[in-house]
Amino acid sequence: MTISLLQYMLIPLFSALLIPFVARRRGKLAEIFANVTLLAGLINIGWTLLSPAVLASGFSVLAEDGFSLLMVLTIYLVGLCVSFFSASYGQGRGVNTAYFYPLLLVSVAAMCGVVTSTDFFTLYIFVEVLAVASFALITSDDGREGVEGAIKYYLLTFPASAAIMLGLAVMLLSAGTFSFDSIRIIVYSGASAPALVFSLSLLLLGFLVKSGVVPFHVWTPDAYQGAYAPVSAFLAGIVTKISGVYAVVRIAMFLRLFETGAFRLSEVLMFLGMVSIAVGAIAAMKQDDLKRMLAFSSVSQIGYIVLAAGLATPLAFIGAVFHLFNHATFKTVLFLNSASLEKAAGTRDMTRLGGMEHPMPWTSWTSVIAMLSTAGIPPLSGFWSKLIIIIALWDAGAVTYAVLALLFSALTLAYFLIMQRRIFFGKKSPAAETASEVSPALLAPAVLMSAVIVAAGLLFPYFFSYLAETIASRMVL
Amino acid sequence: MIEYREFLYLAVTLCALAAVMSRNMLTAAISLAATSIGVALVLFDFRAPWAAVFELSVCAGLITVLFISAVSLLRKEEPFFAEDRTRFRLLPVFALIVAIGGWIAGWPFFEALADYARFGARGQSLGSMLWESRRMDLLGQIAMLAAGVLVINSVFAAKKAGK
Repeated sequence: MTISLLQYMLIPLFSALLIPFVARRRGKLAEIFANVTLLAGLINIGWTLLSPAVLASGFSVLAEDGFSLLMVLTIYLVGLCVSFFSASYGQGRGVNTAYFYPLLLVSVAAMCGVVTSTDFFTLYIFVEVLAVASFALITSDDGREGVEGAIKYYLLTFPASAAIMLGLAVMLLSAGTFSFDSIRIIVYSGASAPALVFSLSLLLLGFLVKSGVVPFHVWTPDAYQGAYAPVSAFLAGIVTKISGVYAVVRIAMFLRLFETGAFRLSEVLMFLGMVSIAVGAIAAMKQDDLKRMLAFSSVSQIGYIVLAAGLATPLAFIGAVFHLFNHATFKTVLFLNSASLEKAAGTRDMTRLGGMEHPMPWTSWTSVIAMLSTAGIPPLSGFWSKLIIIIALWDAGAVTYAVLALLFSALTLAYFLIMQRRIFFGKKSPAAETASEVSPALLAPAVLMSAVIVAAGLLFPYFFSYLAETIASRMVL
Repeated sequence: MIEYREFLYLAVTLCALAAVMSRNMLTAAISLAATSIGVALVLFDFRAPWAAVFELSVCAGLITVLFISAVSLLRKEEPFFAEDRTRFRLLPVFALIVAIGGWIAGWPFFEALADYARFGARGQSLGSMLWESRRMDLLGQIAMLAAGVLVINSVFAAKKAGK
């Protein structure tokens, strides 16, 4: 990690250590500290990526790893939205702010550690820090479901950690290093290829479990459904992406460098991605609980990223990374809005909701933007990332996968349209009669994220140029 | 005069005995963490930094946080099974026999290990080796400790509130 990226990890960590002392008696101070830290980080990384000099150069002046920089931006963006939302949402729910916000900041620091680390062992350490912090965050409110969700999350991802540790041990024995650069050189040289492929397979297995890809998805709906509502958005929006999917994409970048053997692993990755898309979409259609439905939708969307990572062409990586960013934005909106709906209507059961657009127009329309983006409707950001993935599949000759990905995208649109009708439109339910729009403080994060979704879609050429310049040309080719 | 290495062996043995013999689970978890820290220092001393970092990160860091979190979740009033602890009282005697046996029969082996350590050291200090090669892992350890302390505090706060 370079010094310039270290600040994104150290500053939230420092704030997290400071908050329990300064905000012991005044809970409001904890909220202010956390939000200011995350806002400052977001402005800083935003300026680093989007300053006029960087834009004028077509991103060529960025010396850092483009994938890491984009992920740091996403982490701060989702972290700020969740932190800001929690400040209003947590009132009267027994949340201990003197520990909730520090844990949120430790999670942000750990995620920055994951995406900026340049070797597998450091990456693993930060993934475990993230797991420990997430365990406590899930149980933040006074609900019993949270404890159950936390235990399921930890127990079911524990075997993943065992596989990762075994993979690290084999990697050290076969390659003598964990460094990305050194591994890349060893792969090019052709030395210890079978042992190295085996170690990467074990790492991949562990990170696939942490990603919640089918058939390792059983923990995701329970953890998301049981967690404290803003934490569900944090988990689904960014935590599982960074603790699992990010590493899967990184490992896939190594697999394409092998001449033999590893191709099989890439094929398995593509197959698992496709199965996830299908199982997630079909399961989502059958759910009545809004959060559970969104959890299965997440499984399906992660499938697109894994499918593209398995294909491992430069265009597929552009699609995978862009979809990773998009998924973080639209899933955060949907989970935050599900919390707003629960707060206003007192239920997440979609059979008891209906006509919510009348009392909650802002919540409804931001949800519609996020849903349409998830389903891949132009010109929203989700359309472009799915389009790139499908073109990459077609271009590489994986026509069956391309057609299936397209068909399941249509199925995603179908279940989101059904969901929109059941919740926001149609006949007014008794819940809609009594509900009213949530406060502007709860709406602001969803509105900001929806604006990002629309902007990322409309300014897609800039995004593509960033991804092509900083990821495809430097890391893949 | 006890040398640094001998002190480490002694400290590791005593901490390991305390971990097994302690009746209090929190003391046992902390003793186990101290054992792991001692083992990590022994590994550093023998110039095996990777093994030491693993020991420190996983055993002293992560597993201790998990143990202490689990212990903090248990309620004091929960009844524990009574167990026969006679065999644990024999443990120090057994450890002493092993130590005397090791002193007589294993010393040449330890000397050979020490030679390897001197050969591998090449004048680099422990601190510089750790900081230059595994700086990010150390920061990860700090983050892990921070997460652990916050988790324990939040769980204890919830327990006090009677949840």
